Amino acid sequence: MLICVMAVSLCLGSSGISLEDVIEYFTGGKELLPQTTLTIIGRIRIPRTLTAALVGGALASVGCIMQGVFRNPMADPSVLGISSGAALGAAVAIVTGLNGVILFEAFTGAYIGAVIGALITWLMVFTIAAHNGHYDTSSTLLAGIAISSIMSALITVLMTLHLEQMERVYMWMLGTFSASTTDKTKLLAVAAAIFMPVLIIIAPRLDVLKLGNEAALTLGVNPKRTLAIALGACSALLAVCVANSGIIGFVGLIIPHIVSFFGVTRMRRRLALSFLTGAVFMVVCDTVCKTVVAPGELAIGAVTSLIGAPYFLILLMKSRIRSGKERSSV
Amino acid sequence: MNLEAKNITVSYGGNVVLDDATHTFREGRITVVLGPNGCGKTTLIKALVKKFAHTDKLAYIPQEIYGNVGLTVRETVALGRYNKARFLTDETEEDRKHIDSALELMELSDKQHRIYDTLSGGEKQRAMAARAVCQDAEWFIMDEPSSNLDIVHTKHILDTAVKLVKEQGKSFIIVLHDINDAARYGDEFVLMKEGRIIKVCGALDTELLTMTYGTSFGEVKTSSGKTIFYAT
Repeated sequence: MLICVMAVSLCLGSSGISLEDVIEYFTGGKELLPQTTLTIIGRIRIPRTLTAALVGGALASVGCIMQGVFRNPMADPSVLGISSGAALGAAVAIVTGLNGVILFEAFTGAYIGAVIGALITWLMVFTIAAHNGHYDTSSTLLAGIAISSIMSALITVLMTLHLEQMERVYMWMLGTFSASTTDKTKLLAVAAAIFMPVLIIIAPRLDVLKLGNEAALTLGVNPKRTLAIALGACSALLAVCVANSGIIGFVGLIIPHIVSFFGVTRMRRRLALSFLTGAVFMVVCDTVCKTVVAPGELAIGAVTSLIGAPYFLILLMKSRIRSGKERSSV
Repeated sequence: MNLEAKNITVSYGGNVVLDDATHTFREGRITVVLGPNGCGKTTLIKALVKKFAHTDKLAYIPQEIYGNVGLTVRETVALGRYNKARFLTDETEEDRKHIDSALELMELSDKQHRIYDTLSGGEKQRAMAARAVCQDAEWFIMDEPSSNLDIVHTKHILDTAVKLVKEQGKSFIIVLHDINDAARYGDEFVLMKEGRIIKVCGALDTELLTMTYGTSFGEVKTSSGKTIFYAT
């Protein structure tokens, strides 16, 4: 299914490219295609579709881990404050004009700013959470939420002081895949290739942690270390995602619930399925983004909410009805 | 294996909640920890868990579980069989046997496919007990197992403890609030007050209870010869 939606997404965009062209591109008939078509597929469409898939998968996976770690169905990637920190970093880079600085011919100032912002936030959240040695889920959660608020407030201040740059900061905060390049996609793929396996490996330990720290200890699971690895890997993934395509809300919250509706309960399977579902969902949303108002673009965050929320509500109502029946039959 | 607690002191933010606790918990018996609220009972047994968890011989049953678990009852119980060494293989035949018999022992077989969070408080506690049983440990450390259980299930869980001690040589440390349950099931009593172990004894009497709880106790003998304690 992921392959199907990615193929469709490759075909659709502001300039018309047929399915035959895409098939020819992949089956070695490159020399038959005009130069512009090659450029569009190779430099624009492929990086963009891959980025959407990777970001969607990563955000959904991080959400899945957050809900498990905090044992709270309302948790999502934003609770760590990393997204807001990255957004502040990018906003600072944009308003100070550092966005014009380009490193390694690929990464703009906003990108670098986002990575630095995410890193600083991460250090702040974990230093505060680890204060007094009370390094646990609730203090991490609270520190994340508080720092997230500070970062958002600072962004607002920054935007008010630099009204002329407001639109660019705002667009960045809504999220977009339109600035995807091959180099950025490579970095994203490397991050996913490193951190997803880490999460997959420790996933069963997160299930054990649900029994409480003491019971986990008796089963040979070190709660502090497991938590640090899980949140560290999530933060790193998140930082790269946000630096890449801005803040895209909702996906990390909702995809893990969709996985739950299908009765998947254990963490490792939830994680794998969240990644795939998130990838499919994001590619579909991005395809809608770039086609509906072509040659313009919709903000991806708006589309994820418009498509995801109604679907989520339908599932929610169905599951209510089902569990209601179960209850009445008992 | 005896569990030896030696000079354990725990403090939170400057408040000493467990003060220099020393006691050797002997194997093959039920040791009951008694004392008023906030006297450090939970702190003591958590400290024991931290100290001996690495021996792989402990199972801990918490009083309550915080937040959503999101697993089925069977999957929750199966966490007792968690083994890092088996990375990709799922449950073995032996695991399944342990899980099935633990579910049956705690009368949860018919609810094993329900989501844990939809269970009643008592069922949750029984599921935690089943998880501990299938862990196949030597020591069971339970924090207030009767707090969510009705009288029938409290009796069932404590009877099961006696059975495991007599038939399989297991050992228990149980924090209890009900002094009559304690008197009936305990082989040894650790009495605590204000963060200290004030007395270790083999039987309870009104004088000891009065000293521990700071209120006077009376007792009546039933026609079958049992002693019932009550706070006056």
